[in-house]
Amino acid sequence: MIALRSVDVSKVFEDGFRALSEIDLAVDHGEFVTLLGPSGCGKTTLLKVFAGFYEPTSGRIEQNGTDVTDAPPEKRDTAMCFQSYALFPHMSVAENIEFGPKQNKVAKDARLARLNELLRQVDLEKHREKLPNKLSGGQQQRVALARALAMRPSVVLFDEPLSNLDAKLREQVRREIRSLQREFGFTAIYVTHDQSEALAMSDRVVVMNGGRVEQVGAPEEVYERPDTAFVADFIGSANLLPFRQTGEHTVDTAFGPLSVASSPEPGARYICWRPEDGDFTGSGGPNQIAAQVSERAYQGAFTDIHVSVPGSPDQRLHWPGGAQGLGDTVTFRLPPERIRYVRGDLE
Amino acid sequence: MTWRRALLILALLTPGLGVILVMIGSVFYVAVMQSFGYYNLVGDDQFSLEHWQEVLESRQFSRSLSYSAYIAVVSAVGSVVLAYPIAIWLRRPFRGSLLIGAVLKAPLFVPALVAAFLFLNVIAYHGVLNQFLMWVGFTEEPIRMQNDRGAWGVVFLQIWKNMPFALLLLSGAVQSISDEVLDAARDLGAGSFARFRKVIAPLTVQAMQASLIIIFINAAGDFAFQVTAGPTNVQSMAQYMVFLKDSFGRWNQAAVVGVSLMGLALAGSMLLALLARFVLRSGYRW
Repeated sequence: MIALRSVDVSKVFEDGFRALSEIDLAVDHGEFVTLLGPSGCGKTTLLKVFAGFYEPTSGRIEQNGTDVTDAPPEKRDTAMCFQSYALFPHMSVAENIEFGPKQNKVAKDARLARLNELLRQVDLEKHREKLPNKLSGGQQQRVALARALAMRPSVVLFDEPLSNLDAKLREQVRREIRSLQREFGFTAIYVTHDQSEALAMSDRVVVMNGGRVEQVGAPEEVYERPDTAFVADFIGSANLLPFRQTGEHTVDTAFGPLSVASSPEPGARYICWRPEDGDFTGSGGPNQIAAQVSERAYQGAFTDIHVSVPGSPDQRLHWPGGAQGLGDTVTFRLPPERIRYVRGDLE
Repeated sequence: MTWRRALLILALLTPGLGVILVMIGSVFYVAVMQSFGYYNLVGDDQFSLEHWQEVLESRQFSRSLSYSAYIAVVSAVGSVVLAYPIAIWLRRPFRGSLLIGAVLKAPLFVPALVAAFLFLNVIAYHGVLNQFLMWVGFTEEPIRMQNDRGAWGVVFLQIWKNMPFALLLLSGAVQSISDEVLDAARDLGAGSFARFRKVIAPLTVQAMQASLIIIFINAAGDFAFQVTAGPTNVQSMAQYMVFLKDSFGRWNQAAVVGVSLMGLALAGSMLLALLARFVLRSGYRW
């Protein structure tokens, strides 16, 4: 069943900037959906439209089948976790968490039970009387999450909640958010520009660009089968080459002629393959390529190398083993089934 | 801290703080001493509680004290109450907000006596307001509004003059609250008044206290508005002090009123500030 839905939602700001264009998106109950895209793509605007902070210029928002487009944030069954945490600096941890239930006139016993349960779940029992400025970034984020959950909302909206945390803490809080989401069963809409965060946490990823939805799908789907050059390029690394079809299963590219597993779909403009798609096992088959290393960066589990053949742009490869020196020639195979077609332009 | 460092700090502070302390301290000292019979302009200096006794026993003094306290409290609270919604309204810039802010602050530049005089022109028996009320048919003959017994004219002038000052202090404080904090309160179910009571007011309490204190002190010591537009059946403390000095040169008794006025300013402003903090602290907890 659909928990939250945007129908043809557009948002144009007073200065004429068009932040959203006809967004149609349905999020199911208990689903964890991530809005992913570069800065200015409209993901936070869409989240604020869902929350009620922005009124859409056109279109409507439905929650559990009811039109809530005109409902103010305080009347919606959503709770938001803000990028800056937005904790009330003059209130203790406990007062912050109790704020929502008090506003909604939850009985004192139920409120306290909720508070104690949440403090235990986010492991902040010892800090209940502290002011937010006495807590670390990770602890503040957990308070913000507990404060949102204290409302028992059916939808929690996350606006880049981990962007102020260091890498290690980010991974820990990311796991905590996902585990709480599974435990409470709430619907989550999560905004991030970090593709690894989106791929690791989501049931579905919504990739946005220029106020439009580029692709919606499971993390594996958007990574393995990107629809557009933008999605391929934004999620992970991708080698994109314009092509000319020369046969049913052959194309010509700047990297030379390549065998492909299928014919291009209408509108396809590039072929795309991932750096890890290169096969270095020496197995036989089509698309054997010898290329020269032009750049290298050791990454631990693999070496990230840029290779080129005369007249072609650099292509990226994940070399699995020993180091390759600059100027060395590497030979690899590009399995035809790993080559996809994508639509759209590269900006 | 070494004595050399302490001396250096003291030397650096002296030009600013020293002048202030000497100016205020000397005036305060002379007033207090005069109220106890010293620094007489005529006659011998002699310690005496007689002046205090005479003033404190006079009914006119108690009326002046309660009147000035009333004017100061109503003016301070009224100015802050009016300034808050305007500060919140002007929190986010919009087309024309700068101009509106500037116009609202204009009364700061109008001297009190000039303001009172202009006000009299408006509310006088044959003034603009009465002529307008008669023109629209609200009344058949002019209403006597000048020097009203309820002191509403003085309160109006005080708020008109002091509200911009409160606005100046509160605007900065309100603007320093992040949008996300206010959005969070809204998202958690707080309507406009709850957001004000539980978030905006507690986070701007220091600016509110500063406004209350300064306006209270200003209004408690009012002379210009009172003598121009105030009621004639009661005197403000400042007016009473001048009256004592002018009538038979009762300097010592005037000093008693002056010291009392300073006491009222100190005690009243502290009480008001503490009350504001207490009300807000208990306000956001329920």
